[in-house]
Amino acid sequence: MAAEPIIDVQHLEHTYMKGTPFVHQALTGVSITVYSGECVAIIGHTGSGKSTLVQHFNGLILPQKGKVIVDGADLSDKKTDMKGLRQKVGLVFQDPESQIFESLVGDEIAYGPFKMGWPIKDVRDAVKGAMEMAGLPFDAMKDRPTAALSGGQKRKVALAGVLALKPKILVLDEPTAGLDPRSGMELLGRLKTLNEQEHLTIVFISHHLEEVAYLADRIYVLDHGKNIGEGSPATLFSNKKMLEKYRIGTPETVDILYRLQDAGFSVNVAHYGIAEVASQICSILEHGPRRDRYDTV
Amino acid sequence: MTRFEWSRKITIGHYIPIDSIIHRLDSSCKLLGFTVLIVAIAFCNSYFGNVLFFTFALFLFVLSRLPIRYGLSGIKPAIPFMVILAVLQLLFYGGGVTASGTVYIHYSFLLITSDSVRLVVVSAMRFVEIILVSSVLTLSTPETELMHGMERLLKPLKYIRFPVHQFSLIIMIAVRFVPTFAMEMEKLMKAQASRGAAFGTGRWWQIIRRTKDMFPLMIPLFRSAMARADDLVLAMECRCFVPGQSRTTYRRGKARSRDFSFLLIIIGFSLFALFYPFPG
Repeated sequence: MAAEPIIDVQHLEHTYMKGTPFVHQALTGVSITVYSGECVAIIGHTGSGKSTLVQHFNGLILPQKGKVIVDGADLSDKKTDMKGLRQKVGLVFQDPESQIFESLVGDEIAYGPFKMGWPIKDVRDAVKGAMEMAGLPFDAMKDRPTAALSGGQKRKVALAGVLALKPKILVLDEPTAGLDPRSGMELLGRLKTLNEQEHLTIVFISHHLEEVAYLADRIYVLDHGKNIGEGSPATLFSNKKMLEKYRIGTPETVDILYRLQDAGFSVNVAHYGIAEVASQICSILEHGPRRDRYDTV
Repeated sequence: MTRFEWSRKITIGHYIPIDSIIHRLDSSCKLLGFTVLIVAIAFCNSYFGNVLFFTFALFLFVLSRLPIRYGLSGIKPAIPFMVILAVLQLLFYGGGVTASGTVYIHYSFLLITSDSVRLVVVSAMRFVEIILVSSVLTLSTPETELMHGMERLLKPLKYIRFPVHQFSLIIMIAVRFVPTFAMEMEKLMKAQASRGAAFGTGRWWQIIRRTKDMFPLMIPLFRSAMARADDLVLAMECRCFVPGQSRTTYRRGKARSRDFSFLLIIIGFSLFALFYPFPG
């Protein structure tokens, strides 16, 4: 992994509705760094400032206090080219299918490239590439009406609409929320491929620890507008104290390992992958159940 | 400050839960009082009367312990309209049928008199006063209270078969969803801006381009409004709402002497500011 930071946030603060009775400080000093080619998850409770933070990445919110540097561009600098920045940083909002407005799939995905003023041939190529990356066959889908798509397909269209801009960084706010489990898994698989094969830097927000364990190289934990923890899923999930203090849920596999640990079995919580957990359970079964537990039954 | 914080620009219709004399008033008396005040402002033609109403509006803010700056910020979006209106009135009113007063400038069709100047100043003031007064009302009263207040006020109309309850419900739903749609709009603008849309960069004469820029907002906004309406209907029917059926209410507003004296003060003040022969 290249060790070159592509997003660098230092002591960022943000206050909503300044000067009104509804004033609310969403960020109270966040510092995070994302390296090029990484897949970073941001987790935290509702209202911990996750969405506010990621909207800084493409300049939808400008830093009030603190510093945000994205791919060498300082966002506090008024001369920063916002359009260029938004092309580089693709932001997929929560529930992105509600923002679809064109009647045909192809037109919807081409909206961004057209806005960038690319020539028609480039737009066509970008749309084709984006659709394939999102898992939509170009020839079969480009002329379908958007209104007739299923929820999962609509989300793919929305994702393709952002990918068509050929971003270097993809930021997603709860990418699988509201999808059925199968479409959700498929989408995660796509994101993993994008990260591993297209070397896209991915930052995503999630409440779903399974999906974090599956996808993320590194995790940042946010609480009350501050980052309070950082690390690989393995180190974070084995930090039981922190998990309990901030009441972060754990993936089911980690949960099982902790329960086995509490019951007196020696297991390694850092190996929380489904296959790894299965083999750990198998090895326990091979050695037989512990006598003392079953004697009392 | 970002360019996308829409919801903070709309101060009308966002209840602020604090406690004050104005907050505690019975909603139907309050509604009636504020209506009288607004009508009186709309008819007030004198400089002096308007200064009085303006002072009174500010006084209401103090009395209701609402932050004045917040109320004033609600005027900002109306400023372009006020300016255009003022210019039109200044240029074209003087030559009207009712033209009178001292002539200041007379050049071909252009006729500016003391009357037209007064009209310009007074209508701008009235605009501001009405925004302030209605802000006090909506900032200090929850939407449901407003609806119940209106329903009680309009009750007599039931005898001529006016659908009072439905009517107040429509108004309440409309007011209730203003901030919601502002937020939705904000979200849509952000999403489309992320895809390269640049709102408000077209020059003012590029009307077609600026209108086209709005399509990516209007279509999803309409769609979500429709979806919301559908959901709302279902939710209400699930909770046994039948249009036109008689309903009881959880809170029964009962006007007390305090509320009546508030009403009397407002009416008295309005009459004074409207009809007292001020000099000038």
